[in-house]
Amino acid sequence: MPTVPPTTHPTAQQAAPQQATAQRATLRDTASQDPAPQEAAVQDTPAAQAAAPVIRVKDLSFRYPGTDRDTLRNVDLTIERGDFVAVVGGNGSAKTTLCKTFNGLVPHYWSGDFAGSVHVGGIDTWESSVAELSARVGYVYQDFQNQLVRPTVRDEVAFGPLNFGHADYRERTDEALAQLGIEHLRDQFVWQLSGGQAHLVALAAVLALRPEVIVVDEPVAELDPARAGEIYRRLRDLNEREGLTVITIEHHADFIAQFAKSVVLMADGAPVWHLPIQEAMDRHADLSSHGVPAPDAVALTAAVGAPHVALDVDSAVRILRPALREQQVPGSEPVPAAAGAGNDGQVPGPDPATPASGMVDTGPEAGETVADTAPPAVVASLRGVHHGYRTVAGGLSTVLDGLDLDLHAGEKVALVGTNGAGKTTLMKLLTGLIVPRAGTVTVDGIDTRSRSAARLADHVSYIYQHPQQMFLKDSVREDIALFPRGRRVEDAEAIVDRVVAEAGLSALAERDGRSLSGGQQRRATLGIGLAMRPRLLLLDEPTSSLDIRSRDDVTTMLESLSGTVQCAVVATHDMELVATWATRVLVLDRGRVLADVTPQELFSRPELTTQTRLVPPQAARIGLELGLDPLPLTAEDLRARLRTIDGTVESARADHLSRTDGLGATGFDTTGTGER
Amino acid sequence: MARKTHDVLSVDWVRLELLRTAYSTRGGLFSRMDPRMVLAWYLVMAIAPWFTHSTGVLLVLFVLGAASVVLARVGPLVLGLFLIGLLGNVVGLFAASFLFGGDLGTLVALGELNLKLGAVSMASMAAFVSLDPEKLSDALLWFRAPELLAFGVSYGYRMLPILVDEYVTVFEGQRLRHAPVEKPGFLGLRVVWQWCVLAVTAFYPIMLNTAKNVRTTVEALETRGFTYGAKNEAGRTLRLAYLRVSALDVTVVVVTVLLVAAAFLVGPGVPVIG
Amino acid sequence: MSTQTPAPADERRGTLRGAVDGIRSVELTTSQKLMVFVLSMSLFGLSNIILEIIPDPSIGPVDISVSYMVFVPLTIAALFSPFWAALGAPLGEIVFTDLLMGDFSGLAEIEGYLQMFLAVFIAGSLIRNPRSKGQIAVGSIVLVLVDKILSAIVDLSKVWIGVEDAEFVEGLPQSMLALETLGLGVDVVMSGVLLGAIPAVWLIPALHGKIEPLMGMRPRVAGEPIPGQAQASGVFVGFAVLLSIVSFGFAFLEAFDISAGAFEPDFLDMFGDWFILVSIVAIVVVLGLAILLFRLSRTSKSTADRS
Repeated sequence: MPTVPPTTHPTAQQAAPQQATAQRATLRDTASQDPAPQEAAVQDTPAAQAAAPVIRVKDLSFRYPGTDRDTLRNVDLTIERGDFVAVVGGNGSAKTTLCKTFNGLVPHYWSGDFAGSVHVGGIDTWESSVAELSARVGYVYQDFQNQLVRPTVRDEVAFGPLNFGHADYRERTDEALAQLGIEHLRDQFVWQLSGGQAHLVALAAVLALRPEVIVVDEPVAELDPARAGEIYRRLRDLNEREGLTVITIEHHADFIAQFAKSVVLMADGAPVWHLPIQEAMDRHADLSSHGVPAPDAVALTAAVGAPHVALDVDSAVRILRPALREQQVPGSEPVPAAAGAGNDGQVPGPDPATPASGMVDTGPEAGETVADTAPPAVVASLRGVHHGYRTVAGGLSTVLDGLDLDLHAGEKVALVGTNGAGKTTLMKLLTGLIVPRAGTVTVDGIDTRSRSAARLADHVSYIYQHPQQMFLKDSVREDIALFPRGRRVEDAEAIVDRVVAEAGLSALAERDGRSLSGGQQRRATLGIGLAMRPRLLLLDEPTSSLDIRSRDDVTTMLESLSGTVQCAVVATHDMELVATWATRVLVLDRGRVLADVTPQELFSRPELTTQTRLVPPQAARIGLELGLDPLPLTAEDLRARLRTIDGTVESARADHLSRTDGLGATGFDTTGTGER
Repeated sequence: MARKTHDVLSVDWVRLELLRTAYSTRGGLFSRMDPRMVLAWYLVMAIAPWFTHSTGVLLVLFVLGAASVVLARVGPLVLGLFLIGLLGNVVGLFAASFLFGGDLGTLVALGELNLKLGAVSMASMAAFVSLDPEKLSDALLWFRAPELLAFGVSYGYRMLPILVDEYVTVFEGQRLRHAPVEKPGFLGLRVVWQWCVLAVTAFYPIMLNTAKNVRTTVEALETRGFTYGAKNEAGRTLRLAYLRVSALDVTVVVVTVLLVAAAFLVGPGVPVIG
Repeated sequence: MSTQTPAPADERRGTLRGAVDGIRSVELTTSQKLMVFVLSMSLFGLSNIILEIIPDPSIGPVDISVSYMVFVPLTIAALFSPFWAALGAPLGEIVFTDLLMGDFSGLAEIEGYLQMFLAVFIAGSLIRNPRSKGQIAVGSIVLVLVDKILSAIVDLSKVWIGVEDAEFVEGLPQSMLALETLGLGVDVVMSGVLLGAIPAVWLIPALHGKIEPLMGMRPRVAGEPIPGQAQASGVFVGFAVLLSIVSFGFAFLEAFDISAGAFEPDFLDMFGDWFILVSIVAIVVVLGLAILLFRLSRTSKSTADRS
């Protein structure tokens, strides 16, 4: 393994732990053909030479009552002490159920047929109890907000130690808070915490029991990538400093590549393999075929035929630099098909005269610089908008401060910025749910002060971040039909049928929205928004808490909006979405528009992304490091600039296409959430 | 009809008021006291009015109650609801007995009952608004209340903001997606009716969403030893070890007892009708 | 680290431990009880807060407001377990509105708790088939009737004893009685039908089969024994009667408190302070009996399950 040079990129993460040593040349081709035992891998991890394994699963099968097949089937798995394991796999591969066997929730809490054995630190879980096992294995849930049961942070963290009667509960509380660096939150009320803080508190509460193993279920699901990265860094600290064994369930391969030491790939209720990180990433085709597409760094370095794929941006840059083609005449560059829709008609050929400079605070005119024809119709505008909320203490906290903004027909606007930058407030102002304290908001020519929100809903619709808040009726079809029927729209039924088909939910239309998988839920809420036939569509974090595959489905559906909706605004932390979908990016910071730019400009300006805690897509970061101009935004863009081993745009591209095409086709998971 | 942002009497205001009340963020005398002593204080203030029929004594006790409400810094929402309730009660009952041939005497008798109820209510407002959920739950535990009750109190307060937020969001969605009433009808009754229907039907999604959340919560409780702790004394002892009765506590309770005693002595002399 | 060899054929390799699925107990597990309890508490508390902040319209002396959303606890009782729903719902009311809004009325809360508990428990147990509209409608009205009749009796007695010389205040007793009767009628219409039967008849079947899997439970099937259901046995009837007496006991204790200052000296001579003491002792004894009976009924039930 080559060593990693000091990093220079502002957003670069620490180098991934170089866990896997002495890798024999495992070409990904052979790997994907042959998932047979690789005994070589078993011996050469340092962890394997350490103490006895902390978790040993032997011939485990488990079946929930009332189901007709085993959720876990013949699982054999060994987790070494001090390992950092990522458990990956598609929906319904029983990742969560597996992890719940570690702390005894299965079979003591969720009963069912339990065969085989799980030993944690030498204790047979069947003979033990949840209480005893919880002291050894801590569990942080995906919906961690519901895990917090006490009103204040201090009490929340002390809750476990107190219940178990540990006299040193104060020390444990302080220690756990200190380990995560959140002592300052001690006296806060739980409902005052931001998402990232709440997750850390849930983690601290678990750490206060001083477990040997800690299981974290999909931290990225409810957090933005920057905060999830923060959680992962804390977990790595715990793993390295305290020797804690960390197990995470994760969909996002870039986090896995950066932080994990080994990977367990689950499919159909059993592990396919458990390999050190490097070897696991070398087998990215396996991962991809199980719904965990490789991160850009891995996909690209594999494409240029690197013997070992790069796990992070810096090593990818080193490997890719020699493979770079000569800078081409920009105009002649092929536009990759998959990314084409997102780049249509904007990002004019990179003109050296107007590179990624200026445009900060240029206000309403900025949108026009990207459109080369006459200025399109204004769909919504804000003039001198100030807004703020009363706080619990009684003060007024300003959220938006003198905002001037025009949104035009044909624009796909991404609204980015840290939490609390005013994204949601801006959206709520546009829906008319709230009216500004000063200034005017005009939507479709209507001053929002002059109409009730319910009447404005004819012109603008808003899609909440949490789909379950939008499922008001008992079936998806009813939810979609609610608006057009209620307003007695002509041919309402035809609209509903069309929207249901567009969302690819024909087969699921009679089911309750909550019983669908994450991606289907998002498409259903998009359908609800489309059936309102708004001029302006607002979406709050449409891709958060989705696995990559579902996220691509949603992105594809967003692409097709342009036919129905004049202007779409998406508030998001998902920079992949910004890169592939948006034509205009509004960077909000402390209630002001910090920048009004194209995605390309945004990602070319590291100072801007750092200031607003945005993490550009890996491909863009690699491109920036390589000094490419114009900046590639997606792996496909970048790949076109590389001399790949077969010279064509092959597997990764094909992967991408197979993930994104054919909405509503059989490729979707129609089996429901599969989460148990 | 131009809409504007209201700082009071809006949904947001109610939400904030609930939070301020629940977590006693306004501070006040009783929030600095030991929760057990607050409960003891409450008992004194709540029981005393029942032992007299003298309007004078009740009047003094009522004033004491009002003073404690001021000391506890009770918020406007809670106070407003209390006043509306009290006045509504008096007016309603008076009107009723007038209908059945009562006279001013009825009003006096009712005044007495309402003074009594008012004094008790104000004491409970002052006490419970000042106790944050943790303290209250610990005090209950100390008095050997069932573990489930103590937990219910603390969990209820923790869930309250989340539940209210969730409800407001769902209700907003209801409003946006249901067609507004075309004609408001007599006194806007149709609008009121629609709002009632929406408020009730909002419970369908709320129940499902809450059910989903509760599952995680109860599972997490299990992993953090809640049922284990309920069976073991050690945790309870540890949790309550911090409770200390301070000089302030004693002073407040003693002064209150003296004042109440004084009320019973002086009260009959207070000139009131009847 | 290992790479798993695919399982030969479709065969479980491990040995099955414990009982095989199929022996299903009617009893809920501890965690399921806790879930039902917490759900009932949170939702009923929420519904109470909503009602609390809506201004109560009243026409003349008659308060036509809704006292509670009956359909909320009834839904949980009907779909999961009447007993645990009944335990949680009144606690939700106390925690969310009474404690939070400082509207805590001391002993009367216990009285209210017991009344509400009985009402939800009995009404929930009446619904044997969560899809039967008739049973649901009857359930909602019974819930209101049980709760309101109990509290009306308590209210009447309170005023009767509480207000000095109540019988001499012209028109008061009659008007109280009339008001209570009218109030009961209004409550049955508003709480029992408008916010009881009508929403419940729609909501319970709509949620049946949807909400249970979210909590990892199996939907109830009509005809199956209901977990935590009131048994129409002598034990239960005795239990219910005892609970109502306790609830009256608390109310009367308060009533005696009210009137303690009003007793004429000769009255006190006649009965002495022991009158209050007696009522306290009575409550303790009756409560003890109730708990004993309850324990008894539960152990007999669980032994019946085991046999």
